Amino acid sequence: MANEPKKSSRRDFIKISSASVIGLSLGALIPGGKWLENEVYAIPASQGYLLVDTKKCQGCSTCTIVCSLAHEGKQNLSLGRIQVQQNPFKAFPDDIKIDQCRQCAYPACVTACPTKALHADKKTGVRLVSPDKCIGCQRCMEACPYETSNAAWNHEDKNGHKCDLCLETPFWKEQGGPNGKQACVQVCPVNAIAFTKEIPVQAGDGGYKVNLRDESWKQLGYPIS
Amino acid sequence: MKGYQGKILRVDLSNRKITKIETKKYAEYVGGHGIGSAIFWDLCKDKTIDGFDPANVVTIMGSPISGTITPSGSGRCEVTGIGVQSYPIGWYTRSNFGGRFSGMMKYAGWDGIVIEGKADKPVWIDVRNSDVKIRDADGLWGLSTWEAQEEIWEVVNKSVTKDGWKALSSSRDAGFTTQKPAVLAIGQAGENLGRSACLIHDAGNGAGQGGFGGVWGSKNLKAISVIGTGSIETDDPNALIEARIAAKNNYAYNFDDPKVGWNRFSSSPTLGGFYDREEESRPQSCMGCIAGCRARTASGLGSESSCVETIFYADFNRRKFGKQTRDAYVATDLLQKYGINAYEAWRGLEYLEKLYKLGVLGPGKEIDCPLDFEQLGTAEFAEEFLRMTAFREGIGDDFAEGFVRAAERWGRLEEDWKTGILVYPYWGCPDHMYDPRAEIEWGYASIVGDRDMNQHDFNGLYWDPTKDILGGKQPYLSAEEVTKVIAEKLVPFENNPKMLDFSLENAYSEDMAKLVSWTQIYGRFWKNSVLFCDWRWPDLYNPNAPDNSGLTGDEGEPKFLNAIIGGNMTFSEGMETGRKIWNLDNAIYTLQGRHRDLVKFADYIYDIPYDGGLMGSYYLPGIENGEWKYIDTKGRKLDRDKFEEWKTKYYKLEGWDPETGWPTRSALKTLGLNHVADELEKRSLLGKE
Ligand code: SF4
Ligand code: SF4
Ligand code: SF4
Repeated sequence: MANEPKKSSRRDFIKISSASVIGLSLGALIPGGKWLENEVYAIPASQGYLLVDTKKCQGCSTCTIVCSLAHEGKQNLSLGRIQVQQNPFKAFPDDIKIDQCRQCAYPACVTACPTKALHADKKTGVRLVSPDKCIGCQRCMEACPYETSNAAWNHEDKNGHKCDLCLETPFWKEQGGPNGKQACVQVCPVNAIAFTKEIPVQAGDGGYKVNLRDESWKQLGYPIS
Repeated sequence: MKGYQGKILRVDLSNRKITKIETKKYAEYVGGHGIGSAIFWDLCKDKTIDGFDPANVVTIMGSPISGTITPSGSGRCEVTGIGVQSYPIGWYTRSNFGGRFSGMMKYAGWDGIVIEGKADKPVWIDVRNSDVKIRDADGLWGLSTWEAQEEIWEVVNKSVTKDGWKALSSSRDAGFTTQKPAVLAIGQAGENLGRSACLIHDAGNGAGQGGFGGVWGSKNLKAISVIGTGSIETDDPNALIEARIAAKNNYAYNFDDPKVGWNRFSSSPTLGGFYDREEESRPQSCMGCIAGCRARTASGLGSESSCVETIFYADFNRRKFGKQTRDAYVATDLLQKYGINAYEAWRGLEYLEKLYKLGVLGPGKEIDCPLDFEQLGTAEFAEEFLRMTAFREGIGDDFAEGFVRAAERWGRLEEDWKTGILVYPYWGCPDHMYDPRAEIEWGYASIVGDRDMNQHDFNGLYWDPTKDILGGKQPYLSAEEVTKVIAEKLVPFENNPKMLDFSLENAYSEDMAKLVSWTQIYGRFWKNSVLFCDWRWPDLYNPNAPDNSGLTGDEGEPKFLNAIIGGNMTFSEGMETGRKIWNLDNAIYTLQGRHRDLVKFADYIYDIPYDGGLMGSYYLPGIENGEWKYIDTKGRKLDRDKFEEWKTKYYKLEGWDPETGWPTRSALKTLGLNHVADELEKRSLLGKE
């Protein structure tokens, strides 16, 4: 299990978390995972990340629905691994919130999982669930530090699940994952979701909630700054 | 039954009984309007009742594409039942709204909802997956559509939450959601039985026509809330995803290389509105839409309103202030909150202003009305006008009846229809801007139907060339080019461009009968039953396609439906189902008292030359002196006798009795509607062969 974390204390975890804020290419520092100082074994960085522009999103939920369709072969807003929440009575831009998995450099969900069902894929570093190992304790949900947990409960298959960047999409033939395509990126009508191989700044939201509005958006008369 | 949840919720408000109807029983109609009409046929025993009668049956239907990634359609929802807006009879009618209600209803496990009876006191219906409760609406009655929704969100969202996810029951296996329930509610206009009252969902989705808000009010039904965590089974997920991606890449708006041309499916995600959109805003769409047509704004004003809701007050407002002000947004929001039909409010207010200018209406005048028309265009005036209408305050009691009934009460109907100051051309419904004297098929389809049809299939043939011509540009496509491209798609009448000849000579032809028939059967099936959005479909011409030929056809609408439900339905087979639904609807109108003699426009359509509408000129393709060109239809009027001849051609084309307009047994039989023919025969209303 050379790629699995061997040990890590909460203190070390925090230490490295803050280090990742400084170094943008953390993935390169720990390719495939290796022993670091003070005996922390790092989880390999994901080779890809989803970025969203919450000010560009039109709130159609197509991304959420296609996610469940590609993975479960069914269309279900609750099973989509990217979640878009709206309040039609709130003013722009506070009317829409998007939660997408951040493929964190130091994934609390992976650390919390007692059976290693939630793990980093050996080849790509993508954080994903092996459903057969999942015992349904929902610790990943609790561990995910974001307000709406990006590790979610699949109540139909009865296991935890999360965004795998479309690495395993039994119902969509396209090659997915960091070296392929992501269904949500492909379908978003306004291109409010982007994929990058560069590790985003980990602290705060800035690295993941980005500005994807360009000249073409401006031409439609919408704000781009 | 992939794509379906297999059951339709049946709520009897009188007996507070909640039961299920198996969707399978009605699956031949596929969804939406078709299933709604078939259920109405079975459950509403006496179809001659008034819309306010407790025995009126209202259906709220989704379809197999609801809640899916099908582009521009998955968020639409169809409402049917006997309406209270049309005149002289409240026809069996339909209205359609967007947002996320139909999708959420499906996730909750229901293909539709049927409402019967009348509650003994105000109630709302709370649907959380299979758990359905009729709840007391004491605290909700009297609230605006927006306030009622927010109250209901509070109640439903009190459920257990886990890490930002809400559970719908204490069992985690019932699933979690991050979403707010989708609520469809009436405002004060509906509570007070307004004939122009709407059903409103979220900020700006409304089932506006037919007066269903008033119908709900008469049933003491304030709102229906749906939330669910279930799945929609899908026959071929990969095919559906690929079809969606191909639609985006090949037919939708191309951000990197926007095509100059005429757009519909390929429109950019911008507000389809008549007031200036606030710059600090985003596009906003229904579930699954390929390009949203509304906006949400930084001021929070005017969010989610589009089209007629934005035109309702914008012009009055501009005239008052010399430019558009914030008051236009405020007025539009009030319309949504009270839940009032924007067309009635707009055309009605225009009418009141004309009467005021004639010196007939005003404080102390023949028609005593306290509104201060010097303030027309201000938010305060809009508030007063809409409040009076919603609460039936004073003369607002007349406004709430709709302006045709108001004119009748004032003894002015005949005269104002003659002079045309009351622009309500068909069935007492307000003009949509697309006058029968100009856009023939719109008017004809409305008058042979049940309401202002509000179906924009060919409406771009007015907007697109007229804007080009008035802007001093060569039209993007010539009249000959565009009619050829479209004609290829008009299955089962394909390749007959003469159907799109809008010259006055052609207005009374069999070709025009075919165009109206196509409009009705496409609408009844693909739009109102499968629920493709009227704003984006059909995709008849599209500048992204090399030959300008849009997505509509076997590679369009049916491709998405088939990927969900399985099978190989063709576009043409869908049209046949549309014909069946259209015949069923006509049988219902016939039972209600429809006869060809009633099918006529308001007098001004025949007697007064058309003024050219909003832009002063109204160009449409047509043949003049043997050549295709864009013809300005301004100045035209229809001929009474020739229109009567056209009706005969139309009824013959549909296989109906030209003497009465009633469906015949042979027409019904070939469509599998023998039981409908039996019922008509029993009541001596079957058309002669
Ligand atoms: S589920 Fe949460 S903790 Fe895990 S990688 Fe995604 S965002 Fe990070
Ligand atoms: S990348 Fe794939 S798995 Fe992740 S949210 Fe998008 S569709 Fe779902
Ligand atoms: S598909 Fe795009 S526009 Fe639609 S909800 Fe998702 S991010 Fe927003």
